[in-house]
Amino acid sequence: MSSEANGLQVDLGAVLDRHHVGDVGVPAGPELLAFANAVEVGDRDIEDARRRLAQVIGEAGALEAAAIIAAFNGLVRVADGTGIELDEGVFAASAHDREMLGINRYAGAANSAAVTLVPGAGQQGVGSLFG
Amino acid sequence: MVEEAQLAAVETLGDPGDWLTGEQRIAVWREVRDSNTNELDRARRAAVSPTAVDGTHPASAALEAAAVEVVHRVASDSGRLTRTWADQHIAELGEETYTELVGVTAIVTVIDRFHRAMGRPEVPLPSPVDGPPQRVRPSGVGDVGAWVSQTTGETRANVTRSLSLVPQTNQLWRTLVDSHYSRGPEFMDLSWDRPLSRPQAELVAARTTTLNECFY
Repeated sequence: MSSEANGLQVDLGAVLDRHHVGDVGVPAGPELLAFANAVEVGDRDIEDARRRLAQVIGEAGALEAAAIIAAFNGLVRVADGTGIELDEGVFAASAHDREMLGINRYAGAANSAAVTLVPGAGQQGVGSLFG
Repeated sequence: MVEEAQLAAVETLGDPGDWLTGEQRIAVWREVRDSNTNELDRARRAAVSPTAVDGTHPASAALEAAAVEVVHRVASDSGRLTRTWADQHIAELGEETYTELVGVTAIVTVIDRFHRAMGRPEVPLPSPVDGPPQRVRPSGVGDVGAWVSQTTGETRANVTRSLSLVPQTNQLWRTLVDSHYSRGPEFMDLSWDRPLSRPQAELVAARTTTLNECFY
């Protein structure tokens, strides 16, 4: 959604391929993915990954990336720990992508088994979250 | 903004909470850190199913065994939690205590993960403040389809009300998320003016959720 608003063609499959740290259609994408992977799975040196990221987007950008990685580590635990359902609008809008990308195989998918689609719900989309 | 929010959270976490004492909240933080190297957690993560691994987490001085189990599973393998597992622990702990355990686990994970990402040492655990927890169940909560009661009625997103059963913890949690990511009304701007563009921020978010196998 934000990629469309910014005129980008993002390879969502590559984003969700946990091993991929190459180009995905977002500026500084390889450095951002490498940094996230370094922090989360330790497959590379965190200091080196952050330094490379900062060289591309600056120290403030690297700090913001660290903050978002941290925030989403909390968000996934709250979402999965409380068993919330996927919101109707996102459920509808993401149906095709979830199936194509294998996200429906995640254990948490069971929490949204009772979500029903309402007409027009897909228009709401991800942008309604957190606001 | 990020560092100020973190500092405020650290200073608050030792206070008595909604249903946990200050000592118990700090004990949660200790268990979250233990989960990084805990052998049982490591074995469960490596298994096809976490239930295939024998073993239990013992009670600590401040937390009963069921509470320790909740913290370790949420901290180390949240993507494979199930309703059956949650129901069992909610029945044992009460849904308010269960919810606060999840919330405090998430909050301290945010703090520790940020420090890890920035190459900084872990913050020292704050000293617990004596006193009883509030133990007040808020009005207007009920079954909204999640594992625990939450604010009923219209909501912008389920994730924004997920900890509404424990208002004090929820406020701390929402402040952290807002400062680290969403920034209030700015979130609706798909081309915001920040050090990371919106697509870059969403890229980092998407990869982080993927690595944690989170459906939501």
